[in-house]
Amino acid sequence: MTAAIELSGVNKSFGSSRILEDIALSVPEGSRTVVVGSSGSGKTTLLRLISGFELPDSGTISVLGRTVAGPGAAVAAHRRGIGFVAQDGALFPHLTVGQNIAFGLGPALRGGTRKQRARAVSELLEMVSLRPDFAARRPDELSGGQQQRVALARALARQPRVMLLDEPFSSLDAGLRAATRDIVAETLERVGITTVLVTHDQAEAMSFAHQLAVLRDGNLCQVGPPREVYWRPVDLFTARFLGDAVVLPATISDGFAACALGTVAVAPTSLRGDACIMLRPEQIMVEHCESGGADSAASCTGQVEAVDFYGPEVQLAVRLFCVGAPASGFPQSPGTQSPGTQSPGTLVHVRQHGTMGTVVGSRVSLTARGTATAFAARP
Amino acid sequence: MILTRRWALLTAIGTVALLGVTGCSAPEESSPGATDASTPSGSITVYNAQHEELTQAWADEFTAETGVTVTLRNGDDSELGNQLVQEGAASKADVFLTENSPAISLVDKAGLFAPVDDATLAQVPKQFQPSTGTWTGIAARSTVFAYNPSMISAGELPASLLDLADPAWAGRWAASPSGADFQAIVSALLELKGEAATSDWLAAMKENAVVYKGNSTVMKAVNAGEIPGGVIYHYYWFADQAGTGENSSSTQMHYFKNQDPGAFVSVSGGGVLETSANPVAAQAFLAFITGKAGQEILKTGTSFEYPVSDAVDANPAMVPLRELDAPVIDPSKLNSTKVTDLMTEAGFL
Amino acid sequence: MIPAAPPTAKPAPDPSDTGRGAVAETGATGLAGRTDAAGRVGKRPSPFIVAAAVTVSVLGLLPLGYVIVTGILTGWPTLSALVFRPRVGELLLNTIGLVVITVPLTAAIGVAAAWLVGRTSLRGHRVFAVLLATPLAVPAFVNSYGWVSAVPSLNGLWSGVLIATLSYFPLVYLPCVAALRRLDPTVEEAAESLGSGAWGVFFRVILPQLRLPILGGALLVGLHLLSEYGAFAMIRFDTFTTAIVEQYRSTFNGPAANALAGVLVLLCLFLLIGESGARGRSRYARIGSGVARVTPRRSLRAFTPVGYLFLGGLFALAIGVPFWSVIRWLYQGGAIVWTDAVLVQALLQTVGYGLVGAAVTCVLAFPVAFLAVRYPSRLSRGLESVNYLTSSLPGIVTALALVTISIRFVQPLYQTTVLVIVTYLLMFLPRALVNLRAGLAQVPVGLEEAARSLGKHPFAAFLSVTTRFFAPSALAAGALVFLGIVTELTATLLLAPSGTRTLAIQFWSKVNDINYVGAAPYALLMIVLSLPVTYLLFARSRLTSVS
Repeated sequence: MTAAIELSGVNKSFGSSRILEDIALSVPEGSRTVVVGSSGSGKTTLLRLISGFELPDSGTISVLGRTVAGPGAAVAAHRRGIGFVAQDGALFPHLTVGQNIAFGLGPALRGGTRKQRARAVSELLEMVSLRPDFAARRPDELSGGQQQRVALARALARQPRVMLLDEPFSSLDAGLRAATRDIVAETLERVGITTVLVTHDQAEAMSFAHQLAVLRDGNLCQVGPPREVYWRPVDLFTARFLGDAVVLPATISDGFAACALGTVAVAPTSLRGDACIMLRPEQIMVEHCESGGADSAASCTGQVEAVDFYGPEVQLAVRLFCVGAPASGFPQSPGTQSPGTQSPGTLVHVRQHGTMGTVVGSRVSLTARGTATAFAARP
Repeated sequence: MILTRRWALLTAIGTVALLGVTGCSAPEESSPGATDASTPSGSITVYNAQHEELTQAWADEFTAETGVTVTLRNGDDSELGNQLVQEGAASKADVFLTENSPAISLVDKAGLFAPVDDATLAQVPKQFQPSTGTWTGIAARSTVFAYNPSMISAGELPASLLDLADPAWAGRWAASPSGADFQAIVSALLELKGEAATSDWLAAMKENAVVYKGNSTVMKAVNAGEIPGGVIYHYYWFADQAGTGENSSSTQMHYFKNQDPGAFVSVSGGGVLETSANPVAAQAFLAFITGKAGQEILKTGTSFEYPVSDAVDANPAMVPLRELDAPVIDPSKLNSTKVTDLMTEAGFL
Repeated sequence: MIPAAPPTAKPAPDPSDTGRGAVAETGATGLAGRTDAAGRVGKRPSPFIVAAAVTVSVLGLLPLGYVIVTGILTGWPTLSALVFRPRVGELLLNTIGLVVITVPLTAAIGVAAAWLVGRTSLRGHRVFAVLLATPLAVPAFVNSYGWVSAVPSLNGLWSGVLIATLSYFPLVYLPCVAALRRLDPTVEEAAESLGSGAWGVFFRVILPQLRLPILGGALLVGLHLLSEYGAFAMIRFDTFTTAIVEQYRSTFNGPAANALAGVLVLLCLFLLIGESGARGRSRYARIGSGVARVTPRRSLRAFTPVGYLFLGGLFALAIGVPFWSVIRWLYQGGAIVWTDAVLVQALLQTVGYGLVGAAVTCVLAFPVAFLAVRYPSRLSRGLESVNYLTSSLPGIVTALALVTISIRFVQPLYQTTVLVIVTYLLMFLPRALVNLRAGLAQVPVGLEEAARSLGKHPFAAFLSVTTRFFAPSALAAGALVFLGIVTELTATLLLAPSGTRTLAIQFWSKVNDINYVGAAPYALLMIVLSLPVTYLLFARSRLTSVS
């Protein structure tokens, strides 16, 4: 797969504030890349650089092999042939849905007969799962999700090979969001357009992306398949940004970490000595424990201090009283606390099915599954 | 502190508002004279169609002499004449002064004037008075043809006002038909030549004449070479000459004479309303205007209108009135309504 | 009417009250069971408020009623003889020609100027933005005076077009500047991403979205063209209004003047209907919440000098020429022109009329605005539109009607200050109405209710909470009426008590005697009085664009 979009060494500042710093990103043709970052991380600016609404201070951007921005090149937005869907759709309020979609139709169709245009519009509406009679409606008569789909149809009308989506689902409510996202993803998949989407929503990012790029303060911290980035984040920031993380101090040797939960397999295996490990809460199994049940290599017991009810599952705050590992927060040197003391133990937050009926004060045993990610840095 | 300042500001604004609306503007209601019925006092309201400057000069001197306050309501002849007719008995006016006779005849015909004091009538020669004695001439002005010598030679000048109806004059002369001055000239034409001839002449004028608003504007256009000539009254030229001359220095005046309708001398009139609340002061004002002091203002002031009193000569710069050979017309016979109708018909209004 | 008016003498249909009114309409009385601004069924409005609003509106119907009644009384034969004559054809041709040429011209210039100051990276665009609003402070007849002083040969249709365009383009420019700021920038970017270049974006996306402000502004320009007297009289250009004034001069209020007034009223109605037809039912609300991003300004590149030339030239022609003329006359006149004793009197009187007129108009507009916002119903909407209709009538028609009515039926009011103020009220009520209405609508009813729940009497709650909130709008309303009165000429000429001298009247009297030097101080004072109000207008148009 060749790269449809290629950014290298891209910098952008507004006044004295640095928005993007030395960005390098390659988007394979036909794939979907999601740039995820918190607000203010520069992700929208990144998208606007690609679309041509802004020009980079330095660096090169090429789209489909053509340099659109860089030394000696500055292709205007309307000449880049890139589809763009804005956060709230940005439908033309003075035009009907049909006219909106027909706005960007090529000159051949714009000059074509009314019938030809209407057919093209119907096909595009169908592509985004909207009935043809929507063509006569006005944008303000549509729901948010419908507006987004019209905006996509409008962008698709020009048959771009690259599509940029700027937080397209963020203004929709939860139920609509998932449905709209699925329709959009499916449509883009079918047409096979190279897509870049930016969002601050991790779940959305991971479900939509073939390739995930995490942006933090204008720097890309990690780019890779969503699973890899989720399970093997390069740093704690990325780890925490993409989901809940249980971070424990540990001592690593030979690919295994000794921690409050016992011994856990880690990656990368090259690390040794004092480190910290990151586990996703779903990696930790919680069971009611009969006395003396904690004998597995990677398990220990603790007492439930708080229960937060979330419906399908509950979150438990568990105070561990395991022996044989640094018992409390890592910053304390191991020498100050003798192994075996029961309190204060490490507090970890884990999840459990709501059906288990755990209450505050229960004794539970925790077992780590799978491989933890180890970081040389301390938490 | 802030509150006080805000109140101070509000008070100031309120004061200005009240001062503006009431204090300065309030035209004092015409008030009857004080105890002695023969001594003018109090205040009067003058419906003034004459030039504001001239009447103001009269009023100022009259006030200085008698202590009577004079409030002017300025307007045009026909406007104020018709207004007085409409107001009827309810009018707040005490005196009506016009530039020309037709409008004052209109009010006279509606029976709104009180007889003018005999002493006042005696100050003005009969030719400047209507036979009715209900108003009197206060000043006079002559029709002239102002022309630009660089565009028209003395030999080409029209011998009669009627000549201007000739197609040869198409686009070559100007007038201000919407003004009472010109309408007075038309009323003279009507009186001298009859309705049919007047109507025909107006129709030809509609073809030939270039229409301006105001006699000054006509003269200014002639002076600027926009048009060769125009029918106006004499005093516009003299007034401008007395000033900077910037609107008249390239023009000359042609008097028609020969008792031509174009030699018409228009009589400005003054009358006292029968409903006046202060007839003593009103009559005194009219007497003052037509008296020596009032007529002197015509001679020495900047109005350049002809005095009507025998006791005062015209400004020496002007051609004496008796040399103008004007047609003889009873000013009370000039019919303003008919003229407006004819001019509306001809499409000037 | 008046040389300057608010950019929105006629409000865009308020989306928030459509539909709610239908819900409110339940009882046969039309007043029962209405809802309040929050959409809940509320109490009836106080009968005093209703009575006041109805009275003001009925008063507003007098001029139109006068034209209709005199038309009927005159009788068809006379009326048709007065209407179907070549002179009326001439006037019709002039007037329609003026409107047909000037309105599109002002629209084009207004939009172009708004775009240049609002969307391009021209240096000094902020300064230009203010400068181009200043022609509103120069009454059209003063502008005409300035131009005639500079180019004495000006006359006829094209001169009328020139002066009217330069005087009235801000009426389109101001609302367009405000609307441009409100437009969602992402919509324009969407068009770019769909392949539209700068021109494409402008003509296919920006311009259509400016339709309502352009139409609203164009309507105002049209109404001003129909009602302006002084500016056209000075350049010998005859329109219906100048002809009516001339008829008035010759016959006071004769049937010919009334017949012309009737035709003029028809022209006004034609404009109103045309505008509302073109406006249609559409409203282009911003659909999404949008992004709080300022639209990037566009570089004009090679066309930059053209941009400066356009803005600079426009300013020079609209403000430079009249100002230069005034200054030149003042210089020629020297110190002596300032010693005119009447000057101070005229200034005080003008300011007095302006302040009293503004206060009265605001107070009397309040019940109508209050009903419209708090108790929307068919009645309140009807009352509102009556007032817009009245103010669209040229001042000369309103004045003619009130002169005749007062002389015949209410003589104690004839030639009194009260009558002048009433005329101002009728002419300028909508200026106050638009602002008061907007101000009231912004006050959350919840706040007032909170005050009441804290133990305040409803009236006290209203005073302590609501008035505080809408005071700025009331100030703007008053300022706009003030501006209108300061530069009003025709109605004041006809109606004022004897001896009244406003700046406009004195200016006009001097100009009629070709005393251009003497007129200059009056022109300058009118401009100076109007400038702060114009700036306020400009500032508010920016303010409202943010909310």
